[in-house]
Amino acid sequence: MRYAFLVAWREYAENARTKGFWIGIFLLPMILFLSGYVPMLLERKGRPTRHFVLADQSGQFEKTIEGALEKRHQRRVLDALRDYAKKHAQPQDPAAARSTAGKRDALEELGEPGPDAVDRFIRRGGREFYLREIESRLKPGAPKFEEPKRQLQRVPVPADLRSGSDLSVLAQALKPYLRGEKKIDADGHPAGLFAAILIPADVERQIVRPGLPGPSTNSSPGGIEYWSSNLADDNLRDEVREAINAEVRRREYVTRGMDLALIAQVEGTRVPFANLNPKKEEGQEKVSGTDVLRQWAPVAFVYLLWIAIFSIMQMLLNNVIEEKSNRIIEVLLSSVTPGELMMGKLAGIAAVGLTMVGAWVLSLIGILAWKAGAQSEVAGQLYSVVRTSNLLPAFVIYFFFGYLMYAALILALGSVCNTLKEAQNYMGMITMIMTVPLLTMMFIPKDPNGTLATALSWVPLYTPFIMMNRAAADPPLFDLVGTMVLLIGTAVGALWMAGKIFRIGVLRAGQPPKLVELVRWLRRKE
Amino acid sequence: MTTSDPILELRNVTKFYGDFKAVDDVSFSLPRGCIHGFLGPNGAGKTTTIRMILEIIKPTSGTISVLGRASALEVRGRIGYLPEEKGLYKKMKAWSVIAYFATLKGLSRPAARRRAFELLERYGLKDFAEKPTDALSKGMGQKVQVLAAIAHDPEFVILDEPFSGLDPVNQQVMEEIIRDMAARQRTVLFSTHVMQHAERLCDRILLIAKGRKILDGTLAEARRTIPRRVQIETADDIAPIRELSEVLSVSRLEGNGAAEGEGAPSRWELKIRESADPQSILQACFAKGIRLRSFNQSEPTLHDVFVHLVGPEAKEASFR
Repeated sequence: MRYAFLVAWREYAENARTKGFWIGIFLLPMILFLSGYVPMLLERKGRPTRHFVLADQSGQFEKTIEGALEKRHQRRVLDALRDYAKKHAQPQDPAAARSTAGKRDALEELGEPGPDAVDRFIRRGGREFYLREIESRLKPGAPKFEEPKRQLQRVPVPADLRSGSDLSVLAQALKPYLRGEKKIDADGHPAGLFAAILIPADVERQIVRPGLPGPSTNSSPGGIEYWSSNLADDNLRDEVREAINAEVRRREYVTRGMDLALIAQVEGTRVPFANLNPKKEEGQEKVSGTDVLRQWAPVAFVYLLWIAIFSIMQMLLNNVIEEKSNRIIEVLLSSVTPGELMMGKLAGIAAVGLTMVGAWVLSLIGILAWKAGAQSEVAGQLYSVVRTSNLLPAFVIYFFFGYLMYAALILALGSVCNTLKEAQNYMGMITMIMTVPLLTMMFIPKDPNGTLATALSWVPLYTPFIMMNRAAADPPLFDLVGTMVLLIGTAVGALWMAGKIFRIGVLRAGQPPKLVELVRWLRRKE
Repeated sequence: MTTSDPILELRNVTKFYGDFKAVDDVSFSLPRGCIHGFLGPNGAGKTTTIRMILEIIKPTSGTISVLGRASALEVRGRIGYLPEEKGLYKKMKAWSVIAYFATLKGLSRPAARRRAFELLERYGLKDFAEKPTDALSKGMGQKVQVLAAIAHDPEFVILDEPFSGLDPVNQQVMEEIIRDMAARQRTVLFSTHVMQHAERLCDRILLIAKGRKILDGTLAEARRTIPRRVQIETADDIAPIRELSEVLSVSRLEGNGAAEGEGAPSRWELKIRESADPQSILQACFAKGIRLRSFNQSEPTLHDVFVHLVGPEAKEASFR
């Protein structure tokens, strides 16, 4: 035992000293954190102001578009102001609340969600009003509120292009700007032109009215032209299109003599739709965001499990090959038995893997707990899912047995190959076999106890991943226990075979053995 | 166990790899406190024998006892081993490799560490103690590996080809290491192809070929296994000498240069029985009236012994 421990300790110490180990430990939480945080950050700070030109020869939609974009901007101002208030303003103390009874608290009103929040915000007087209201309650040292930059900024058409009345000529003339070859003037600064919106004078005649004579839906496009070389960022296009279409419909209602107020009422009609789960307790069947997350969270754990097992398999393989190709193995075997060596390796590398996975899980929980506050609803829900469900214990168990099974394969493989290159060929096959649970990972939560999921669960190589995948769906006890027994049996069997192959393989030089030869090794008696 | 017990004893050891007989009924025993040379052509079964001694592989039949025990692993702390193919953990520091192997041999961690630095200093590698082993030259790496094999001060050291790949200076260091150990009453068994090393270092020789033991004994005994050679130079007829019972064969040596011709002296090489005394040949020459211009007796070298005993096998292509 002492010798197995010494081997394990060296494996652990040497692997824990490598850069790869530490990069591995930090990379995953970092990626998780960044992938959640960066888009948010970019959304808020990084997105550049998009400059566009608008040429409305019909003169009908200029106001509509500007109004829509202004509202969009005010929504962002509102969001920013909410964040600002949450961070820097103190909630009203109860005494003050009583004294001002009847009057609504501005801060409360600001935080109130709902579809008409923006309209109310604008009606009330926008940021000036609210800033004045909360001024007295700002914590000492609070910074000044910074209004977010306008994301979509209209700029005038360059002066030298204004003369022409033909839109196709204008479009041609704008092309160098749109392609980035020329800069446009935006408030005295040169800026790239993001898009051009060209509305023809006869746009009225091009409106498609189903059921009425006029241009049919499949005639030539015509209509409003949106020019941009950026196909990915479609915010402006969608905003403008929605605004114009809403306006066109509004006018249509009016021309056809319909009551706008009535229509608004009709459009607001809805029936409540409850999402219920029969598996939940009586009276609490209502499905919350947490429940949805609970069903999908296993996917994250499957992925984590996969990465963990895969990366320590690589570690183990490198390690065995190094000892074998350097013939260090001979010195080792003059000091320890093959059994002790194998056990030491398994334990040492398992400890490396556990350290890594432990660090991941801890940092995941850490990030979630940190973000779980008022700031992120999703993080809070995830946090509670991880804390309250059986996912973590399941993860640890499946990691342990899955690791043993795959490690046995790797020990056997490593012991019969002489170089890493040779081993990589076989490793490729193992990797290919291993990708199946990654491919099915996203489908299984949709039908967690279906045929595919059940069948794959009974393939020992996939059991840890698929059962982890199904963990939130209460798989039948028969599946749960049966696959576990099969998995443990397979792991033990694989280790036994690996032991036999290992003790012969490690001392062998030359070509990897043929399958027949391997079988002979397995049947050899000591 | 007394000190007169053999440190290693093999009885009728045979090893098959599949159908291939790598070691064929080998028996020998090594007395304590000597330097033993383990010789044999490529593929003779040296490495297999060593692996069996160390219990890395098991013999197909026969018994091995090391330090009086049936299992080398029972006494692993008292045995040191340097394998034929040399290699170290590339990323480990020189001292920690030595210390690691020493702990596997039973030393405590602090003792192993102390010992590693001590050895590195003694053999001139002090400055490289903290270097990863892949930063060392091949010779240095090999020295580190030898030090790792002997760090726990074993009673019995087995070195498989310790000299291969070393430059002459490092070969000398290697010899020094081996002599140091012998001076402290340790038993050393080393295999080599270089007969000069064996000749300089060994007290005893063990020679195997094609898996069979050919020879086992002291250096002098080894030399006695092949006919001694005497060279004489004379212009007279040497027929009387041919008839001597001690003389096994007579052959004329070529290349006497300008003196060739009638009446010119010729050089002859006589092979004489191992037991015969070259002096008796000299006396016989006087007695028969053969006038000698020169008489030269030479001890056979280990090289001669090797070539004589295993020459034909050694020439065969290595079969493993």
